[in-house]
This record gives sequence, C-alpha cells and structure tokens, in this order.
Amino acid sequence: MTGVAPALSVRGLRSGYGNGGDIVCGIDLDQAPESILAVIGPNGSGKSTFVKTLAGLLRPRAGTVVVTGTDVSHLSPARRVASGLAYVPQEANVFGNLTIGENLKLATEFLSGRAGVGPAQRQQVMALFPEIAVRPKLLAGNLSGGQRQMLAFACALLANPEVLLLDEPSAGLSPKFVGETMEAVTRVRESGVTVLLVEQNVAAALRVADEVMVLVAGRRSLRVPARDVSSADLAALFFAKAG
Amino acid sequence: MVAQLILDGLVTGLLLALPALALTLTFAILHFPNFAIGAMLTLGSYAAWIANSLLGIPLAMAAVLAALAMAVVAMLCDFLVFARLRDRGSMTLLVASMGVSLILENVCRFSFGNSTRNFAIEVARPIRWHGLRINHEQLITAVTVVACVILMQMLLHASPLGRAMRAVADNPSLAAVRGVERQTVSSITWCLAGVLSALSGVLAGMDRAVDPLLGWNYQIPIFAAAILGGLGSPTGAIVGALVIGLAEELSSLVLPTNYRQIVSFAVILMLLLVRSQGLFGGKAVRK
Repeated sequence: MTGVAPALSVRGLRSGYGNGGDIVCGIDLDQAPESILAVIGPNGSGKSTFVKTLAGLLRPRAGTVVVTGTDVSHLSPARRVASGLAYVPQEANVFGNLTIGENLKLATEFLSGRAGVGPAQRQQVMALFPEIAVRPKLLAGNLSGGQRQMLAFACALLANPEVLLLDEPSAGLSPKFVGETMEAVTRVRESGVTVLLVEQNVAAALRVADEVMVLVAGRRSLRVPARDVSSADLAALFFAKAG
Repeated sequence: MVAQLILDGLVTGLLLALPALALTLTFAILHFPNFAIGAMLTLGSYAAWIANSLLGIPLAMAAVLAALAMAVVAMLCDFLVFARLRDRGSMTLLVASMGVSLILENVCRFSFGNSTRNFAIEVARPIRWHGLRINHEQLITAVTVVACVILMQMLLHASPLGRAMRAVADNPSLAAVRGVERQTVSSITWCLAGVLSALSGVLAGMDRAVDPLLGWNYQIPIFAAAILGGLGSPTGAIVGALVIGLAEELSSLVLPTNYRQIVSFAVILMLLLVRSQGLFGGKAVRK
C-alpha cells in the first residue's frame, strides 16, 4: 500500500442498532485502488452491519470513512453515492416494481453533479452486462436471481463509483450463477473500480479476491493476501485462531 | 332515474378520487395510513373559503391559493410530527395522524366556529342533457379531478420525481443508495397530499358546505376507496373511488339515503374477508 493513496480508508469505525452494544467494534482498513477485498467471517460477525455502515444506511457511532480522500462519514447514503461510494445490498437489490429501463435510469437521475456519469459510462457498463439492456420494459421483479444481481451491479456502476460495496452477491444463487457473478466482480475490478466484497461463500470469494479480511465479533481478526489463505486455514480463521 | 344515479355516483366517486389518491400516495411512500386526510380536506376548504369569501378572490384562484397553503401545512406536519416519528413504525405514525387530525379540525372549529359557510359563487341553473340533470359543480369537479389524475399519472410514470417516489415506495433503503434523498421525496409527497386534499376540500365545499366536519363525512368513503383499489396503488385509488361513489349513489335504490355510508363500511368488511389486498394491490411484484 505504501506510496499509493487508498481508495477506501476506514478508521476506528463503530456501529450498532438502537441502544444495543456495538456490532462493529473499531475497524481500521486501507484498501488499495482497483483491488478486491473479500470480507469474510462467521454468521453474526458483523459483516453486513460493517458494509451498511460504510454505505451510510447505519449511522456510525465513532470513526471515519474516507473515499479517495473525501471524508463521507457524515453524509447521507445518497450523498455518499455522489461521492463515489456505491453499494449493492444482499437482497432486494433492484426495484421489483420498476422496469429494467427505469431501474437503469434511476441509477443516475439524481447524480447530476457526479463526474463521469453519462452516456459514455452507460455504454461502458452495458458492455460489461450486455444481457441487461435487451428487455428494458420487463419488470425487474420478474428477473431470475442471477439476472437481478447483474442489473444491480449495472445500476451501481452507472454512478461511476470509485469504490463498490457488495453484500453477499452470491446469496441465494445456484452454483452456475455464483460463478457468473464472481466473474462479473472481476470484470468490475478490471474496469477500474475498487471492490469490497462481503461474502459467506468463502471459496467463491477467495477465487476472485486480492486480499481477505476476516471479521470475528465485529473486530478484524486477520488481513492477508488471498493467495496466502488455504481452505485448511478457514476453520481456524473463523474462530480467530489464525494470525 | 338509474342513469341520473350513475352520473351522480361517478361525480361523487371523482370527488373521492383526489383524497383517496393522496391517502394511497402517503401510504405507499411513507408506509402508514394518514387519518388526518379528512381534516386536511376540511382545512383546505376553509383556506379556499377565506380567500374566496373573505378576501373576494375568484374561487378558481382561491383554490390554487388553498392548495399552496395546504402544501405548506402538510410539509409542516411532516417536519413537526411525522418525520420525527418515522423510525417508530407505522402504528405510531397512524396514532400521530389521528392527533394531527384532531388539531387541524379544531383549528378550524376555534377559528371559524361550527356554523356552515358557503363559497361566493353564483347559483346556476343545471344543464339538461338527454333527461339528465348536470350541475355546474359536477362539471367543475369532473374536469378538475380528471386533470389532476392525468397530471399525477404523468408525474408518477413519466418523470424522474415519479420514478424516485415509486422507488422509495418499493424499497426506501435501496432508493437511498441509488442517490435518492428520502426526506426530499417524503416532503414532496406531503406537498402533493396537501394540494390534492385542498382541491378536494374546495370541490366538497361546493358540493355541500364548508364546516368543521366536512372532511370527516368523507373519511370512511376515502379509506374504503383506497382500500378497495389496493392501498398503495394510485390507479387502484381512482378506480376504488369511482366504485364507492357509484355504490353509494345506487344504494339509494334499496336503502334510505341517510344509510348510504353503510356501503363504505360494507365494502371495507367484504374486502377484509375476501380480498384484503384490494383490486390492484396484488399487482405489485414481490420476489
């Protein structure tokens, strides 16, 4: 990381729900531009809460989130998108009652101030997901799980993000679609976007990730290059015995 | 006789369509049934009455001013009450809307008393057409409501704002991460609800008279119309309003006219028993 400004920088991030205790307990993170960081961990380790806090859907109790040098910690989710931080939620990640065309239009309609958003970006994104643009009048709720995931990726990328947050993109997909989805994640990285990928499907995540961060009980348990993690290590990682 | 009842029923339905549309919009986007809709209608009619009868402004202009005033009042209600309770769940918001309803109704009562008021409009002879008697008020209602419905449909289905409203109705969190500010959409929704309820207040005031219980008389039929159409469906609210209007008028063939509100209750009861999602509620795609 030395010498390269991080695309995503997180310092001392804490968050939780209501009056309950912290779910995310002080996470620090620097992610290099155009890399894929897989965030893995056991159920209840705070992965989804972490990524929701980054996206702004959950207010941080402490800490900062910086995207390409801009502190977005106090911005609304909508303003964070305009600052270059896009998010694809785990489920319900397209507007089922809007058509594919409307989903795509809406992805940029309220981002007029964002640099790089426009016809050129649209053309580039549609080239990444050619199957999306074929039936623009179809209700997005009628798409299959894999197709919806592609539409959700496309919508997020139309905002020309610096950093893309993906919350379990393989959830509920058949093995064939998991492979296609992970391939799409790689294509997204190759287009110049930094990807933070929260995944339960560890094997699938390790295949595409450059680095892995293991979360246990809301804390960073380990951060290593993905190639250094073997399947045999996983059980130990999840119980925070590694590192 | 039946043709006249059908005509009157359609106009009654059109009168219900605007507040039913306002109710269904707030339900779809803000996720609670706004029990203050009747009181907003009443306050709108008083706002128009002040402009028309006290200030001498022509009724059409008075209606526009009332609509603007109610847009501000509705946004104020959101700022002071509903926005602060948004994360407390729909039941809390429902009860809060009952409180807002009481406040708005009693503002009218304390300010203008209980007596009925009328707009300063000339009484005109009804038009006779193929044996049907058509009042000028009915024509004004029909033209106003049809124009408002067309404009609302265009807004919802052919404008970025409409797409944003439908997106927030579908999934507010996802809308937020697609760049849509929920509070802005919420304020605009209240603004539209205020405008629609004020215009319906003017039409209701022309049909009856302006009094503190004007909106309350329409409250049950408005809810019946919105529920019949499928709460959250703008098209459903309009169709539901027309059906309720027709059913209420045609019920006078078999029921004494002072029992006509039974029809709305009966429709709500039947829907809850048979098709709780209403006529158009099932169309929403959920996967």
